[in-house]
Amino acid sequence: MKGDLYWARSSDEAIAESAECGGAVTSLLKFALDTGQVDAVLAVKARDGNRYDGIPVLISDAEELAETAGSLHSVSVNTPRCLKEYLDGASDLKVAVTCKPCDAKGIIELGKRNQIDLENVLLIGLNCSGTMRPVTARRMLEEEFGVDPDDVVGEDIEDGKLKVRLRDGTEKECDLSELEAKGLGRRENCRRCEINIPTMADIACGKWGTDGKKTTFVEVCSEKGADFVGKAIEAGHIKVEQPSADAVESRRAKDRAATALARQWQERDFAGFQAMSTEQRFDYWFGPSGQFGQCIKCFGCRDACPICYCKECYLGADRGVIAGGEIPPDVMFPMIRTVHVMDSCVNCGQCEDACPTDIPLSRLIFMLNRELTPIFKYEPGMDVSARPPMRTVTDEELRVSGVELVL
Amino acid sequence: MNLEYVPTICPYCGCGCGIYLVLKDGKIVGTEPWKEHPVNEGTNCAKGKSAHSFLYSEDRLKKPLVRKNGAFQEASWEEALDLVAERLKGVPPEAFGAIASGKTTNEESYVLQKFARVVMGTNNIEYCARFCHSATVAGLLPTLGSGVMQTSQIDIERADCVIVAGTNIKETFPMLARRVLRAKRNGATVIVIDPRRTATARHLGDIHLQLKPGTDVALINGMMGVILAEGLQNAEFVGARTAGFDELRAALADTSPEQAADITGVPLEKIREAARAYAKAKTGCILYDEGITQHTTGTDNVMALVDLTLLTGHIGRPGTGVNSLRGQINGEGTGDMGCLNVFYPGFKRVGPESADFFKKAWGVEELPTQPGFTYLDMLHNCKVIYLVGANPVMAGPDSTDIKKALDDLDFFVVQDIFLTETAEHAHVVLPSACWVEREGVHAWVDRRVQKIDKVIDPPGEAMPDWWPICRLADKMGYEDKFNFTSPAEIFEEIRSCVPQYKGITYERLQKKAGGIHWPCPAEDHPGTPTMFGQSFPTADGLGHFQAVQYKPPAEQPDGEYPDILNTGRSMFHYHTGTMTRRTDALNSEVPAGYVEINPEDAKRLGVRSGMEVTLETRRGKIAATAKVTQRVPQGSIFVPFHFSESCANILTNPALDPTCKMPEFKVCAVKEEVRE
Repeated sequence: MKGDLYWARSSDEAIAESAECGGAVTSLLKFALDTGQVDAVLAVKARDGNRYDGIPVLISDAEELAETAGSLHSVSVNTPRCLKEYLDGASDLKVAVTCKPCDAKGIIELGKRNQIDLENVLLIGLNCSGTMRPVTARRMLEEEFGVDPDDVVGEDIEDGKLKVRLRDGTEKECDLSELEAKGLGRRENCRRCEINIPTMADIACGKWGTDGKKTTFVEVCSEKGADFVGKAIEAGHIKVEQPSADAVESRRAKDRAATALARQWQERDFAGFQAMSTEQRFDYWFGPSGQFGQCIKCFGCRDACPICYCKECYLGADRGVIAGGEIPPDVMFPMIRTVHVMDSCVNCGQCEDACPTDIPLSRLIFMLNRELTPIFKYEPGMDVSARPPMRTVTDEELRVSGVELVL
Repeated sequence: MNLEYVPTICPYCGCGCGIYLVLKDGKIVGTEPWKEHPVNEGTNCAKGKSAHSFLYSEDRLKKPLVRKNGAFQEASWEEALDLVAERLKGVPPEAFGAIASGKTTNEESYVLQKFARVVMGTNNIEYCARFCHSATVAGLLPTLGSGVMQTSQIDIERADCVIVAGTNIKETFPMLARRVLRAKRNGATVIVIDPRRTATARHLGDIHLQLKPGTDVALINGMMGVILAEGLQNAEFVGARTAGFDELRAALADTSPEQAADITGVPLEKIREAARAYAKAKTGCILYDEGITQHTTGTDNVMALVDLTLLTGHIGRPGTGVNSLRGQINGEGTGDMGCLNVFYPGFKRVGPESADFFKKAWGVEELPTQPGFTYLDMLHNCKVIYLVGANPVMAGPDSTDIKKALDDLDFFVVQDIFLTETAEHAHVVLPSACWVEREGVHAWVDRRVQKIDKVIDPPGEAMPDWWPICRLADKMGYEDKFNFTSPAEIFEEIRSCVPQYKGITYERLQKKAGGIHWPCPAEDHPGTPTMFGQSFPTADGLGHFQAVQYKPPAEQPDGEYPDILNTGRSMFHYHTGTMTRRTDALNSEVPAGYVEINPEDAKRLGVRSGMEVTLETRRGKIAATAKVTQRVPQGSIFVPFHFSESCANILTNPALDPTCKMPEFKVCAVKEEVRE
């Protein structure tokens, strides 16, 4: 049932032993494939075993699932884009997708915009406390941890620490806030992210509340998820237990702590922008040394954003709104993009990752989103039936005199 | 359904950005960020993001073409190669010339120069670097001993003062601009030397030295004058690591910053400000490109920059140096492979000693010991030309003359991916596989060697550029010297005779995103991001000052041709447009050629943006669409050279730098007229 909580392990002892957390996710995915509930699994793997180079992988042979097991903290693959752009939005493919909270939110927002057929998608949510940029992670490991990044076999972000496990079994840790004060550690958007447990997915799986056991804490988040997990348990693919009350509470506590930390980062990161006067803002974004003056019109942000889905983009030179071939493009280029997506920003940070000139796009757009959220009472990416406020006309709005619906 | 994300390196410029190609059932359907790549960290410019489009263009050459009765007809490889072999046999060495490519792999370039030398017995082998950094080689070799970029591009962000001279990096080297921007955000002062108020000058520059075109030597001498007058030179460095300072000081005594201001039109205070900022910096970095080299005084321009660098000691440490920016994907590598009239592979100077070395290395009895023709001399003096992946009709100076020279050839072979403006003049055209249709290595701007893996098959019967050359060598009796069956085998031979590459292997490159900087002398050597740390590769290990005097450009404006023509590149198109003008995303941004005209000049001429303008020089005339903009100073216009129908090089002046034979692409006299 929706809301059920389990400690789950693979019932295949080999998988359970070798997997990082008891192999429940791997077994669930195997179950989905073996029983034909899905045609394929869309997951992330370390390319050639390189933990800093993550790529999406479409798996129809359960044997290949092993390569996708475990968590990779130094990659941030754009899963929603892959599903929308290269897999036709799952229009003719039943697919199970492993997803962090931002991935799941992105997929749901694309579902609202008819770009992904959510009926065909089983969202296997994975808890996430944040990912790191690979180049930053490598430098951080060399400079701060004093280790060879290629010796790292696992990372954990927990209780304010970043811990790494090395091939020879040793562990090292550093204080997360100290790292992040130096510009190392997690991606900026991750620091600001309040949603660590993907309850918007069909199930949410993670390490919190596992009490140090080699098991996965699974929360059933939808009827589809309940059906799926129920069948898996029945078929004997996973072994489940009731988590202890302490474990459940410990998970809630970690979640609360992570959320509180995220809100601190939001306050800190947004304060600078919010404190600026109008003149200062114009100067910061559009002045001679302004951020948007650096834009080279690569369209990287637009391509990466899950909210941007138009086949014929309003910013394209052939639309006649933004003059073609100009570097930097007219100020309306970033403004239009911002306004088009800000009500639904899922804080995935892909835009900022994609920007060749380090424009703090995610910081800006998510900040604006947080300001809109209380106004429209709209939380992006959570509920597929909640319509994006800036492209939804409510009955109330239609009744306001002077409002015209132009189709 | 098969979905694959395969990493590769962008085929366009010298930065060497990583990208993921997305393949669906074996066809490339898109690109995605490769976040682990150290150069670009998952970001790309518009060209990189659409890089795969041109591969599938309908008009890719798929079969050899042979000219029969004036028209091209398709032919089999055998027929085409038999014809070429027959026409090449017996051609005397001085009558044959080979033009190599800035876009082919090291393996492909290596095979072409080996063919020219072993089979045709000539050092008549050149490539586009003649038009790009020949001035760098001529300027840096006598002074520093080596003409390469000295810092890893990543370390540029450590600089606290960057001089960006004659290069619009925001548009032409976006990843270098990324590093300069980071340095700037960390407090670095960025000085831009450019007659145009480019995006780089406007948004990266703190100090824009907007000099009159071609007055760079005067400007830099002026800056050095300020440094000496205020005692800001790095006396320790000058004393320990240089020679010729007294001569430089004496020569500079004949100039002055005031004189520099007068000649260049740059306010004296700005010259002083820039000089002080660079001299006082801890980590000063000079990045320069065609705005410095493409002049009849290109060699002098480069030497002046070297003098400035040695005077201040900003060299030999990460993030410093006087750095030439080779724009092409293999601008560096094809030179490394010896596709130059005066260098064998590995920069061994053409002469008896180098010939002996390669006779042993290649197992041949004879090799040419005299320098060959330079590019344009080759086109004019040879009777038979073999050209790979180059487009001199669009990229060389005085296009009309180049077309004539090509039409005068007895036999002209072109290997390329499209029927380019140059290939139109050939007798035989051979279809090339390119980029991810074959494997091989390139050396990017900072001597960064990276590997391109084969990801898809080439179209039709197109073959990698090494293959036809080896087949020809076979047909001409040299099979055993060219019996390569793969690029891997060619690379092994390269490693054995080019010491800078000895320690680089395909395996090592596979494992390391971002590649290895040469020199890399051994397989356990990490590569060399920073050059000249301890000494310079000159005879005495010192850096040599070389004073130079200002000389004006060859052709100045006059009554008949009152304005200055400047040519160059831009963000959305690349060089002669062969690949980018077949890419929808880029054509949509910039569909046609244009000419930048200053608002004052526009008023005088009665021109508004969008009007068609005729541009005429003593070489010829073209039409272009006017873009009225403050980017160009009064009295000067700018035409990018990407557009066939508005070919900038019909106008340019083939006057050459006497030392390095570099044409003066950047300055000539022009007149404009509105078309009715």
